[in-house]
Amino acid sequence: MSGAAATDGEPGVDTDTGARAFARFFIAAFRKRLLLLVRYPVNTISQVGTIFLVFGVVFYGGRAVAPTAISDSIEGIIVGYLLWSMSITAYSGLSWGVTREAQWGTLEQLFMSPFGFGPVMVVKTVVNVLESFLWGAVTLLVMMVVTGRWLSVDPLTVIPLGVLALAPAVGVGFAFGGLAIRFKRIESAFQLVQFVFIGLIAAPVSQYPLLKWLPLAQGSQLLQTAMRDGVALWALPASELGVLVATAVAYLVAGYAAFTYCQRWARREGVMGHY
Amino acid sequence: MSQTTDRPQRADDDASSTAPPETETVLAVEDLRKTYGDGEDAVTAVDGVSLDVGRGEVVGVLGPNGAGKTTTIKSILGLVVPSSGSVEISGVDADTDPRGVYRHVGAMLEGARNTYWRLTVRENLSYFAALGGNNPDAARERQERLLDQFGLAEKADETVNDLSRGQKQKVSLAATLARGTDVVFLDEPTLGLDVEASLELRRELRRLVEEDDITVVLSSHDMDVVEDVCDRVVILSDGRVIADDAVEELVGVFETQAYRVVVDGQLPGDLRSRLVADYHLENVEVLADRTRFDVTLGDDDGLHAVLGVLDDAGYDLLDVGGLEPDLEDVFLDITGRAGGGDGQ
Repeated sequence: MSGAAATDGEPGVDTDTGARAFARFFIAAFRKRLLLLVRYPVNTISQVGTIFLVFGVVFYGGRAVAPTAISDSIEGIIVGYLLWSMSITAYSGLSWGVTREAQWGTLEQLFMSPFGFGPVMVVKTVVNVLESFLWGAVTLLVMMVVTGRWLSVDPLTVIPLGVLALAPAVGVGFAFGGLAIRFKRIESAFQLVQFVFIGLIAAPVSQYPLLKWLPLAQGSQLLQTAMRDGVALWALPASELGVLVATAVAYLVAGYAAFTYCQRWARREGVMGHY
Repeated sequence: MSQTTDRPQRADDDASSTAPPETETVLAVEDLRKTYGDGEDAVTAVDGVSLDVGRGEVVGVLGPNGAGKTTTIKSILGLVVPSSGSVEISGVDADTDPRGVYRHVGAMLEGARNTYWRLTVRENLSYFAALGGNNPDAARERQERLLDQFGLAEKADETVNDLSRGQKQKVSLAATLARGTDVVFLDEPTLGLDVEASLELRRELRRLVEEDDITVVLSSHDMDVVEDVCDRVVILSDGRVIADDAVEELVGVFETQAYRVVVDGQLPGDLRSRLVADYHLENVEVLADRTRFDVTLGDDDGLHAVLGVLDDAGYDLLDVGGLEPDLEDVFLDITGRAGGGDGQ
């Protein structure tokens, strides 16, 4: 990236697109998200409250209907629910985020950044993923307290696995964000995808190994192994980790490519930001 | 015909303000075209627009609805991919280096909030400065100045959502300017503002242009805004540039062409119809003892022809006076002629 000297404050000469300026933008984007979380506590609380409420329904409802089944699979439910709630945060930050920015008329402003639209969206995604980890940690703690089952939470294992497990959800978020830029009102599809995520996270990978190549499936499987059985990252089979890395990279890259294609398509059709 | 009052004073009000030849060109648009669709369904929105804008110039883009103003602006900005043509901003080619272009250009777009309403005014300015890759010290200094200039200093720590419509519009403009680019596009910057807020925004805009030496391309439906703020006007019709001249030049030409004529007696309907058809009479008023009308003519001989017709019909001339047109009259006439109409 090129950078221009930052000296006299005259228009156009104090713009810098180097690493330091990019880091400053990242901090600005992170700060913006934090400000909104703190400034609108009702919104924040209801967002987190919904996560807890749904888990409460699954846990207490399930225990009332089938106590043995719930008791036998509680670790899987906790890890699966953790990954699902984090995936939703990371995914919807992009898909819903792009839709809202288009409605607000700020999408064009993001596009006109000298950092480039792609890097700006990557920054927003990283902020989303960090937020998903924040809520993930809180959700995990609450779930473990509620159920009384304490899982192995080794940060050196859980964080890298979590990032790799979330990457396909981010890729899907990019793809749907791109579709939102091109086709606008596709909120129904956004919601549908959230339920598809449940199926992917619960996919019976051990019975049908080919399913591990689907988004989220392998990440869910390995996170369960690590957290339920206390297996460290380096103790996991290299081939299984290879599949995780390959699916993470592939879905992320494919999603980003779809996003780039869609935004260019939207600009060709003259509908970028039209809402 | 209306006259603009309370007009912001320009530094170069006494002189023709077209960019002098030696002025550095900061925006060069060459044969820009945008066609949607293919074959018989193809619609050409921009049809060979070429435009040079010098540093520090304020250029107004006018045109009737569907003339291609917004598509032209968005094509220049890269928000619409043009079918062909080239755009260069501050010497950077938009096609080969789009990111480089965004170091020099910012825009406030029509009908969009352009800012985050849940953030405060100051937070918005900081965020957009960071998005623009600005040096923080220079950005802070500029932000404080913009807050003062737009009368937003007292509201700086309030969320934009809590501000009035006029203040929100000012925040959008300030956020665009906070990026410190040398070229700024403003699409309908005074849309929806009341008269007072619009006048204030125009004054501030003009002052900023003169103090900061920024180049502005402004589109507006409000002729008074363009006449007050712009040095030069580009009129688009059907995706083409049909006029490109200094505001004073355009209005000045019409000063010698528009007349108000008063004749003795009531003109009969058939004569009125003939004069309207042949000489495009406007504002015809038949009073008890006289008839008054306005006429805009291509040359002085035209006036003599009208007066000759009236004389032949036996009507005495009571008064002939030149009318002072405004930009709206010029615009209506030029776009009317381009569209094959009569300028009404």
